[in-house]
Amino acid sequence: MSDKSLSPDVPAARSAGKTSAWHRSSLARALFSLALVLTLGVMFPAEGAFFRLGTHQGAWRQASVVGILACGLLPVILAGGIDLSVGSVLGLSAVVAAKLSIHAGEPGWLSVLLVLVMGAVCGAASGSVVAFARVQPFVATLAMMVFARGLAKMASGGTKVATAVPGPDGVLRYVEVPPLFRALDAPVLGGRVAAVTLVFLAIAAIVGFLCARHRLGRYLYAVGGNEEAARLSGVPVRATKILAYVICGVCAAVAGICQAAQEQQGDPEAGVSYELTAIAMVVIGGTSLKGGRGGMGLTLLGVLTIGYLDKILSINAVPEASRLMLTGAIVIVAAVAQKNS
Amino acid sequence: MSRTMLAFTRRAFTLGLLVLACACKGESKGSGPAGEGGNKARFVIGMSQCNLGEPWRVQMNADIAAAAKEHPEIEVVFKDAQNDTLKQRAHVEELASAKVDVLLVSPKEAQPLTEPIGKAFDAGVPVIVLDRAVLGERYTTFIGADNKKIGRAAGEWIKKVLGGKGKVVELKGLMTSTPGQDRSAGFREAIAGSEIEIAFEADMKWLEPEARKEMDSALSRLPKIDLVYAHNDPGAHGAYLAARAAGREKEMKFVGIDALPHEGVSYVEQGILDATFQYPTGGREAVETALRIRKGEKVPKTITLGSRRFTKDDVKKGGEVIE
Amino acid sequence: MEHITKRFGRATVLDGVSLDLHAGEVHALLGENGAGKSTLLKILAGVHTDHGGSIFLDGRLVRPRSPAHAGALGIAVIHQELSLLPALSIAENLFVERPLGRLGWIDRRRERASAARILGEVGLELDPDMLVEGLSLPERQLVEVARALGRGARVLIMDEPTSALAGPAIDRLFELVSGLRARGVAVVYVSHRMEEIERIADRLTVLRDGRVVGSARVGEVPLDQVVAWMLGPRSLAAEELPRPAPAREERLSVEAFSVDSVAFERPLVDRVSFVVFAGEIVGLFGLSDAGAGELLLGLSGALGARARAKEVRISSVPVRMGSPREARALGVAFVPADRKSMGLVPGMTAEHNGTLVTLPSLSPLGLLRPARERRAALGMAADVGLRPEALAMDAATLSGGNQQKVVLGKWLLDEPRLLLCDEPTRGVDVGAKAEIHAKLRALAARGAAVLVAGSDAREIAALADRVLVLRRGRIAAEVARAEATPAALLALAMGHDEGRA
Repeated sequence: MSDKSLSPDVPAARSAGKTSAWHRSSLARALFSLALVLTLGVMFPAEGAFFRLGTHQGAWRQASVVGILACGLLPVILAGGIDLSVGSVLGLSAVVAAKLSIHAGEPGWLSVLLVLVMGAVCGAASGSVVAFARVQPFVATLAMMVFARGLAKMASGGTKVATAVPGPDGVLRYVEVPPLFRALDAPVLGGRVAAVTLVFLAIAAIVGFLCARHRLGRYLYAVGGNEEAARLSGVPVRATKILAYVICGVCAAVAGICQAAQEQQGDPEAGVSYELTAIAMVVIGGTSLKGGRGGMGLTLLGVLTIGYLDKILSINAVPEASRLMLTGAIVIVAAVAQKNS
Repeated sequence: MSRTMLAFTRRAFTLGLLVLACACKGESKGSGPAGEGGNKARFVIGMSQCNLGEPWRVQMNADIAAAAKEHPEIEVVFKDAQNDTLKQRAHVEELASAKVDVLLVSPKEAQPLTEPIGKAFDAGVPVIVLDRAVLGERYTTFIGADNKKIGRAAGEWIKKVLGGKGKVVELKGLMTSTPGQDRSAGFREAIAGSEIEIAFEADMKWLEPEARKEMDSALSRLPKIDLVYAHNDPGAHGAYLAARAAGREKEMKFVGIDALPHEGVSYVEQGILDATFQYPTGGREAVETALRIRKGEKVPKTITLGSRRFTKDDVKKGGEVIE
Repeated sequence: MEHITKRFGRATVLDGVSLDLHAGEVHALLGENGAGKSTLLKILAGVHTDHGGSIFLDGRLVRPRSPAHAGALGIAVIHQELSLLPALSIAENLFVERPLGRLGWIDRRRERASAARILGEVGLELDPDMLVEGLSLPERQLVEVARALGRGARVLIMDEPTSALAGPAIDRLFELVSGLRARGVAVVYVSHRMEEIERIADRLTVLRDGRVVGSARVGEVPLDQVVAWMLGPRSLAAEELPRPAPAREERLSVEAFSVDSVAFERPLVDRVSFVVFAGEIVGLFGLSDAGAGELLLGLSGALGARARAKEVRISSVPVRMGSPREARALGVAFVPADRKSMGLVPGMTAEHNGTLVTLPSLSPLGLLRPARERRAALGMAADVGLRPEALAMDAATLSGGNQQKVVLGKWLLDEPRLLLCDEPTRGVDVGAKAEIHAKLRALAARGAAVLVAGSDAREIAALADRVLVLRRGRIAAEVARAEATPAALLALAMGHDEGRA
């Protein structure tokens, strides 16, 4: 058992975390799922539409908003939690962003800042309930989900917040779409990429960096892997959890702004059931709902898998019923593949 | 129309919580200087709305309130069943036993509400059923619009505008819902025999983001699109945004349905949509019918609402009556 | 029971154990951790079924296939963790496995009447409709006995039944056991407290390493003999290592330290006071429920408000350790007994587990520095004798010894002034054990204070400069190194409570 016989020049452990066998097999499985879906696209190209750049640009753009939610969910899920409120916080953020920038005419940066702060507050509220009151994340965020949706409806007065602004006399007055929304909805890089896709990739990069290269990220894995061991090792468990939910809330707020920009209005019903899609994206990538295992690379693959699946079914004009069944089948195949790792 | 969409998308487990959370604020007193100046002339209308989660139903209640405001003697008691059939059943029973002068019901479902409505009717309360019918004959009058007729009117207009030929994208509401089926069937009836081709069709579940997504796919498949017919205005708006993002919004026309003041009508005014066809709420007509019942006039068993078409040319004048 | 053998993989846990249980007799079963007591009992209770040998009940060969089958045969177990359903009434609990009634319909009136009769037999004056969650702990235990009797148990196994109880409840339990004996029930009584064994048991049997090493009528063997049976002839003498006399610099001073229990009637640790000096290894020796581990847990801050003290001083400065973070800031390290649930983060590599404690200093401004982290981890690996390749492995896949090295190593990186170490080598192979012992001694030699808790008399005797023997949450004796032989420690831990309060 003693290691003294080993020479000291044994090759040092290479990049410890990323080379673990689990991670590699998980990555392979996530790639398998994406490849499966892309093969489907090649087999059913919808009169060549699948091979057009616009289709791919569209697939990425459509996946972006939910993808941002998935990026936000990643830290929470890594820490062993779940956040069901992201869809509602998205809706609330869309309404508030539209209120501020369309109706109140606030400058873009201020609207964004205020909405992000609001998202952070929503996350901090859920996180605190989870960390301090020890309420199960499912329940705490379910409450936030209902509450934020109600708040969105109250703030919007039950209607969409659009460029038609009702005056005090009930007569509609039309205003311009604010520059913030225009900028986010415009294609960039020579028209090849939607601006929201860039926002999504930026968020993915930031959250990915936090998870992989920041102390907080390590603490997320530790808390998700074994909360008690983490606590006994002096890891600030509560702060870690709360921060995870704050990141998630901020991401939901960003997604809400992007959604509002693309719709050019704040719809209080925006984002209903998005949380389920976002969770599916994270899980299909191979991140464990039990916490402690997973990562941003896997999540991106999950986002693309579901995003492309959606797109391929759409360009082929598959009827709704078959679409639901196919999506369910593919999600199960991907999930079973991941389960066996 | 889109009243089925919420029922569809909202998950069952949140409903439980929602109902709990909102149980105490489910009812609100309606408009008007009700009750003042003695109650000799008081005329109480009970309104049981199945769900206020959709703009169209909010508009219906607003129309009722606005119409009632013109008659100071009317007091309206609004109830919101939050998409819960059993709750609506209880609301109907409550209002009937409170002996309102006229009971308005916009039912969530026909079958389960037929019996409570019938009981109220048998007990001598005049009942006006709005938008969705109940089974049998035990109510005073039904007020509703005809989706098929509206779909047909849209089809006729489209045929005229396109000169009888062209490629059309149809963005359908939920095809498992009657309004979606009727709006599609009426439209197809009208364009039958012309050279108008439905080149792409998809369910957008009454949702704007879904509509935009499906329109994206249509745009990448079809090099030329002449017109988009969406089963509701948000759907047409989403299609417009998709086309504009692809730089192709000038190439085609956009037509929606519903024509709510904040949505379709304002889109037409802004030049986003080329036309929208009103799906009237019947709120005003309901109040007028209630007043007629009060005066003892005989009212028809079924009142089918007329529709209006709003286009760029006539939106300022309040649209054009169809037929 | 004759010639019972039981293997787990390659390890033989029971090796030809034979035991006679007589009706109307209380038979005490003793043995150290890992001697095979609980395996033997689990075979009797039908939990383990793949054993060799034969079990005869009233002369008939039986083979309990499952706990339910064992129950039907008349063998019942009263566990340390009680198995009642708290949300059901007493009557419902008594008949939960086989409700009275017919065709699936429960006859509540009959159940209630039978329950009242059975409760009377165990001397419990309780309403059968009361919910179990409203009962006190000793009452629940009696209900559990009542349930066994209600099912016609003729062999009753009691696994350390007095652990949770305070004085009067113990007397009551013993009355009940006497009553059972009088009715012809055979009782297996697992305990390590000689005082109780002498009061209640008729015969005793000692297991060691899966064999019966001694059996006698109670009162016919002195405690010393029992202790000798339990420890065996192996290396009774401690490894004699010259140890420098510790400097008399006070590192930890604890006054009236208590740990409250969630489930027990009595505090797990009851107002203990002691001092640990710098450079000293102090052993806390106690068997199962003595509270040694809980004392360490409490000092580590892990139990929060459940741990109370009149005063805790570190290096003569009064401190408060409300959480592991606060304790760590004071230079306190805690190596828990249960590596799996409290020591390691599975799914994370050994390297990342190893740097978890010291991560703040390895990641300035919060940014991880992989190269810096690797250097630290390699240093740790070299320090505790872990192969460098093991660092890249998932910590959960390491052997017990290597896991323990990682848990110890992550704290050594933090250079603690006080190390709390609970069962430092439980489930660890011999080689790693020696390395870990050497590491603890080296740490003490560098001036840290080390507090080692455990129930392995040999380990504590070999490691500690001074031993505090705990019994039921109290310090029963303080033993200097010279007197701290395993036999002496065990005898003290098993011995009588002088003047129970």
